[in-house]
Amino acid sequence: MKLSRREAIALAGTALVASGCGISEQLQTLVSQPPEPLDRNEEPGARALARAGFGHDPDSLDLVREMGVPAWLRSQTEAPETEPAWLAQRISRLDVVNFSPWELRDWPESAVVAQLQQHSILRALHTPWQLRERMVDFWSNHFNIYAKKGMGAYRKTLDDRTVVRPHVLGKYTDMLQASARSAAMLVYLDQQASTASHPNENYARELLELHSLGVDGGYTQDDVMEVARCFTGWTEERGFLRGKGGFAFDPRLHDDGEKRVLGHVIPAGGGVEDGNRVLAIVAKHPSTAKHVSGKLVRHFVGSGHPAAEEAVREAFVRSGGQTKAMLRALFDRDEFLQGPPILKRPFDFAVSATRALGIKGDGGGDFQQHLAAMGQAPFQWPMPDGYPVEAEAWTGTLLARWNFAQSLAHGRIGGTPEPKLTGTPEEVVSAVLGAPVDAPSCARVTACLGGITDLADAAALALCSPEFQYR
Amino acid sequence: MRDWIYCDGDGGDRGLVNRRTALAAGIGAAVWWMGSRTAFAQAALRPDRSDGPVMVVVFLRGGADGLNIVAPYEEENYYRLRPTLAIARPMDRGKPQGERLIDLDGFFGLNPSLAMLEAHFKEGRLGFVHACGSADATRSHFEAMGTMERGAESKPSQQLSGWIARHLNSTPDRRDPMRAVALSSVTPDSLLGNTSALTINNLEDYRLGIEGAHSIRALQALYAPGDDILSVAGRDTISVLDTLKRLDPRKYVPREGATYPDTAFGRSMKQVAFLVKGGFGLEVAALDLGGWDSHVAQGNTSGWLTNLLTELGGAVHAFLHDLGSEARRVSLVVQTEFGRTNEENSGFGTDHGRGGVMLLAGAGVEGGKVHGRWPGLTSVRRGGPGDLDVTTDYRSVLAGLVRNHLGNHNVGDVFPGARLAGSSAVKSG
Repeated sequence: MKLSRREAIALAGTALVASGCGISEQLQTLVSQPPEPLDRNEEPGARALARAGFGHDPDSLDLVREMGVPAWLRSQTEAPETEPAWLAQRISRLDVVNFSPWELRDWPESAVVAQLQQHSILRALHTPWQLRERMVDFWSNHFNIYAKKGMGAYRKTLDDRTVVRPHVLGKYTDMLQASARSAAMLVYLDQQASTASHPNENYARELLELHSLGVDGGYTQDDVMEVARCFTGWTEERGFLRGKGGFAFDPRLHDDGEKRVLGHVIPAGGGVEDGNRVLAIVAKHPSTAKHVSGKLVRHFVGSGHPAAEEAVREAFVRSGGQTKAMLRALFDRDEFLQGPPILKRPFDFAVSATRALGIKGDGGGDFQQHLAAMGQAPFQWPMPDGYPVEAEAWTGTLLARWNFAQSLAHGRIGGTPEPKLTGTPEEVVSAVLGAPVDAPSCARVTACLGGITDLADAAALALCSPEFQYR
Repeated sequence: MRDWIYCDGDGGDRGLVNRRTALAAGIGAAVWWMGSRTAFAQAALRPDRSDGPVMVVVFLRGGADGLNIVAPYEEENYYRLRPTLAIARPMDRGKPQGERLIDLDGFFGLNPSLAMLEAHFKEGRLGFVHACGSADATRSHFEAMGTMERGAESKPSQQLSGWIARHLNSTPDRRDPMRAVALSSVTPDSLLGNTSALTINNLEDYRLGIEGAHSIRALQALYAPGDDILSVAGRDTISVLDTLKRLDPRKYVPREGATYPDTAFGRSMKQVAFLVKGGFGLEVAALDLGGWDSHVAQGNTSGWLTNLLTELGGAVHAFLHDLGSEARRVSLVVQTEFGRTNEENSGFGTDHGRGGVMLLAGAGVEGGKVHGRWPGLTSVRRGGPGDLDVTTDYRSVLAGLVRNHLGNHNVGDVFPGARLAGSSAVKSG
């Protein structure tokens, strides 16, 4: 059933007056209709922003409208690392973007973690380069590092700006190589404890299982041990017995014998080149193309799209592992904008909610606590596999999402101003969902509001709706 | 208009209202019907949920002195090594009853501060595992706690997720919003790596920030009809909130005779009992009781260690009594990161050791016994006093309960690499 905006409003009004006795069957049907997240009815710009970025805000919506979706998507793949002046200036006040891990050593760990998180949130909230930030989220989880293991937060600051950010739209191989030289990654995966006499397989295993070939990628336990031998001596630069956060190769710890990795012989005496050989071998391995491209596709459109995965895998192979090429191949597929929606993870939910209300939030401590309650504060996933993507992992913390929505709409999050809401409740619902007021999703949510007239309450409920949890 | 979320409990006719009648009655009633269907069917009265097994894990932080909790009074070394701290033998007529151990099995005696647990032990509801611990030999609180909460053998840095999280992740079919609850101000390491476990210091904090009857009704309406995974989860969450509002943990009255200590820990244990009895779908609860690092003046039958034991024992006793017949589906584990040195130090306290004592009670537990091979108080550590060798891997007890009591057959994912031979303290199957 389709209701026009006028009808829906009229019916909602009746509901208020009728208060339970003899209400129109039409509204009744509307209220008891299931949410239809599968029925995409946002306007095209909002849809593109939800799929490629962290949802719409008034400015970005204007921009996409002006450029048209295809041109906007293409321009997003050419994003620079820089930000517009005001955002750049805001970010430059964060110590974590200005100092080295060694210089930050006297900061309390909690302050470093908070600033790392704030940096990610600020950029995701406000950058016009939305695709770039979504890719930062993707790669930060692909090469996940837990900020609270062994002072990881200090090293992660350097990893964020030299490993992840410069390569998010560039070449996979470049990021892989940078990651292998990241003290944050090496220490997180116990590489500093890996020596010729006692090779530690932790980094070697995750390199094959998570970073490159994938768990079914065709390597053996022997390959893991041989890769571990190749990487002995890859460790963290030290100064005064303390980690300095940079990379160092220590030949004294290196196993210089011959190794055999995935069928390739690595001759004795290679030194630091052994590790480089391994990285080259895994980067070119066909399983890596399949693993990385498949994961990228599932991040954007969910599972169950083998044809899209195949197209993007081909783009990976054809381009020599260019992320930009993979993304463009994905954007050419109908699944990208028209595929069934997938559940937003909490970070996506919180950021898109703030953007939808047009709020200039600061992503500070209060915002971060809400994210933690929802289960996804950045850099807080302890295991190397990154935050889960399955919807099942995220259904237990809905209450925290609702409470965030309520606080956000009523201006009760420290550092996040109160939204300036105007118009009618239906218009607020429409602005939140990024769909016309007479779209089925807006009509259903508006009907569920009953007779609520307070705009902040309407905004909170629209953010709470099942419809808003999907993208 | 009938406002179901506030009305409660006794409305016997609710289940009889059919859909057509509800629709005819209008929007208010329709929402009420949708709400009642979910709340009624899925919360307090959903039988598959309220009958599930529960595991309650209490962590005594700081390294509780197992040798003065369950003391080996038949071993002369105990009295020799602890001239001021040892507690008198059960048959020592030179001391009043409250200052003598309570005999458990002719070899071990229970600290008299835990006298309230004697009957539970004698009647087979409660038991101990002695000389229990991990392979961690650093004697560091951080390393040893990290090891146990991650379910590792030792070296916690190599096992990043917590064992309770792995249990939850390996049995993803149950997704109740209150499935795993840590009554704590920070998420314990045992829950690291699961996104849905709740951490709340006080159950009273589990509440909806959205206020006003209109808003609450709107929220119900938003989640009422969908069959997608999120709508189902939304209805579960609403029903839990509704039940909490109706039953209200603040107004919870424990079973007659169950008196919890008036402390944060006592309140937490009471709230766990409340969750179990309210049928909230609770499966694992994690709680902490701190303050066990008794380096100085720990006392034997009086003093602060005694006070802590009285608090612990009082809460456990009240909990078991409060559960009543529900105790048959609840197992309780009380663990600590390590025991303490055999010998007392010059400050009339004890220092960090190895093997400690684990308390087990309730379902799935072989009560009435002190389990574990007794290694004797002879171990000497270079450069310091000896401590108790670990003869039972704490993981064999936890793994046994996870497998046999919680019914998780993927227990190898929960404790990877552990030798999972069952402990005699856990009932088979």
